[in-house]
Amino acid sequence: MIHSFIALLPDKCTSCMLCVRECPAWCIHLDSHTEEVTDAGARRPKKINVLDSFDIDYSLCMYCGICVDVCPFDALEWDQHRALISDSRADLTLGITQLTSENDSAN
Amino acid sequence: MTAVMAMESVPVDTWHERVHQVKQRGFGFFDFLTAVDRNSFVEVVVHLVREDLSDSYLISTMLSNENLHIDSIETLFPGAGWHEREVGEMFGVKFEGNDMQKLLRHETLGLPPLRKNIVLSARVVTEWPGAAEPEIKQDGRKVGNPSRRRQRPPGAPESWLQQ
Repeated sequence: MIHSFIALLPDKCTSCMLCVRECPAWCIHLDSHTEEVTDAGARRPKKINVLDSFDIDYSLCMYCGICVDVCPFDALEWDQHRALISDSRADLTLGITQLTSENDSAN
Repeated sequence: MTAVMAMESVPVDTWHERVHQVKQRGFGFFDFLTAVDRNSFVEVVVHLVREDLSDSYLISTMLSNENLHIDSIETLFPGAGWHEREVGEMFGVKFEGNDMQKLLRHETLGLPPLRKNIVLSARVVTEWPGAAEPEIKQDGRKVGNPSRRRQRPPGAPESWLQQ
């Protein structure tokens, strides 16, 4: 597979911030909040992180793949899509929707 | 390459002579010349290879931070000229005998960026995205922040970062 894109599987992401902190290019931005969830039968509610936004700035990304390696839940993976050509820097920052829809992990 | 690489560190004043001797011994292919910032000194390294690629030779020398001057080996290997100019720009080493014209960076750009004591300005003016922590919310309201200790970006020296 060509390593030309980093795709996000948002359901697996726990907002642990490891990818953001390990990224040498500082190109990942993640926003999340904590919510309390009460499971049926549980004695007390548990706290879970909810992902609000996840952006990769492809104008900074150098495709080192450290984020893919470091993710403990395999929420990031290599993909063979080409990441975009644009004449605007803002277009090179991709959010959850774009990072997910480009993902063709079925192949 | 089935290299059995020999390595040698030589004093600065015998640099040109030693590279010449090694070239005469059959290591006639210039691979690369580069430098490493070892904090207390700068190490200049050249890698020479036998023309049949059977063996290679690494010669290094130490330059003190106060005197970053070394003889150019451009007369032995013309291709080394560009490598020396690049090392000159990136580490501030002056190669005597090479014209040392800027190769990659603009003339007005200041200090050599690959020296460890040079602050990378982007790391100071950019906010580190890893400093963010999930906020604890109840009914959509922020009620607390779980961070107890401040996270630091890996690799960036403490003195570079804003308070």
